[in-house]
Amino acid sequence: MRVTFVLYIVLLTMASACNLQPKEEKLKIYGRSEVSDAGDTIYHKIADYKFVDQDSAWVTPETFEGKVYVADFFFTSCPTICPIMKTQMLRVYDKYKANPEVMILSHSIDPKHDTVAVLKEFAERLGVKSDKWHFITGKKDDIFKLGQTSYMVAATEDGSEPGGYVHSGAFILVDKERRIRGFYDGTVAEQVDKLMIDIDKLLKEYEK
Amino acid sequence: MKSKLIFILVLACACTGKTNNSDNGEESTHSEDVKMEQYLVEGQKLYGIHCANCHQVKGEGLAQLFPPLAKSDYLLQNVDASICGVKNGMSGEITVNGTTYNQPMPGIPQLTNLELAEIFTYVTNSWGNNNGMITTERVEATLKECAQ
Repeated sequence: MRVTFVLYIVLLTMASACNLQPKEEKLKIYGRSEVSDAGDTIYHKIADYKFVDQDSAWVTPETFEGKVYVADFFFTSCPTICPIMKTQMLRVYDKYKANPEVMILSHSIDPKHDTVAVLKEFAERLGVKSDKWHFITGKKDDIFKLGQTSYMVAATEDGSEPGGYVHSGAFILVDKERRIRGFYDGTVAEQVDKLMIDIDKLLKEYEK
Repeated sequence: MKSKLIFILVLACACTGKTNNSDNGEESTHSEDVKMEQYLVEGQKLYGIHCANCHQVKGEGLAQLFPPLAKSDYLLQNVDASICGVKNGMSGEITVNGTTYNQPMPGIPQLTNLELAEIFTYVTNSWGNNNGMITTERVEATLKECAQ
């Protein structure tokens, strides 16, 4: 009787140890996926884009080749949630400053005001380097469309809102295959803690 | 018995009333302290809602984008201009503790004089600042003089 009991305990411990493994494993892949004729799963991907950054340099998906990156939407004159998002994003920047595999992409949703010069001054005053953290501007419609269809976050004009825009405070984690691997509230420090844990997990997927 | 008790009570009240009158000075300092405490508590709440996003919870500011309020020479030398700035908005370059800042600050016109007094009492008496109380009367007088 006692032997069976001990055996039972041993088995249980082993089973729970096994159960722990998959939890650690991989981050979810977001968006609608399809199965190709060949039977492969095709995941939702960030569409092609071409914007200009604070150095007047083109930013395209190639800019992030072989990198994971965190994307957000903001505007420099935003009085509400953007400053707190930038405070939080600065934590991500500081943590991965020395890691070339991690980058940041901030889209301005007010390109009329946020010219290259304005973005340049903003980035410099924030004290961040442009090879790590790109602030981009472009055609407003293109940016809004990319936000809604690719990054799956809302950004619209609204005259009644302070600053004139409503937008999500989301940070979006994108992997090296341009797939979305996480959404986080960029105005909440604990969510950004989670983002940084997830970035580490995502980077581990590429180790081997 | 009952009437005796009431008599004693009335006497006691009269006595305390008298003492109150005699040390008027001390009494008003005490009520000022209480008022200051209330302003600090309310000011902290309002600061969290309206200011902390940019100027940060401990008034430290953010990089060279948003100036610090803690031990800010600009703030403490320009309290009136700052009250106007919070109410009506501010733009243009300013120098705070030797660093220049040039991010426009949107005004919050819906703040009442009392709320402004509470916010400024909190901000100018926290994180190493020690400027004393900002009264609603001061705010009212200041706002009349704001350059538009």
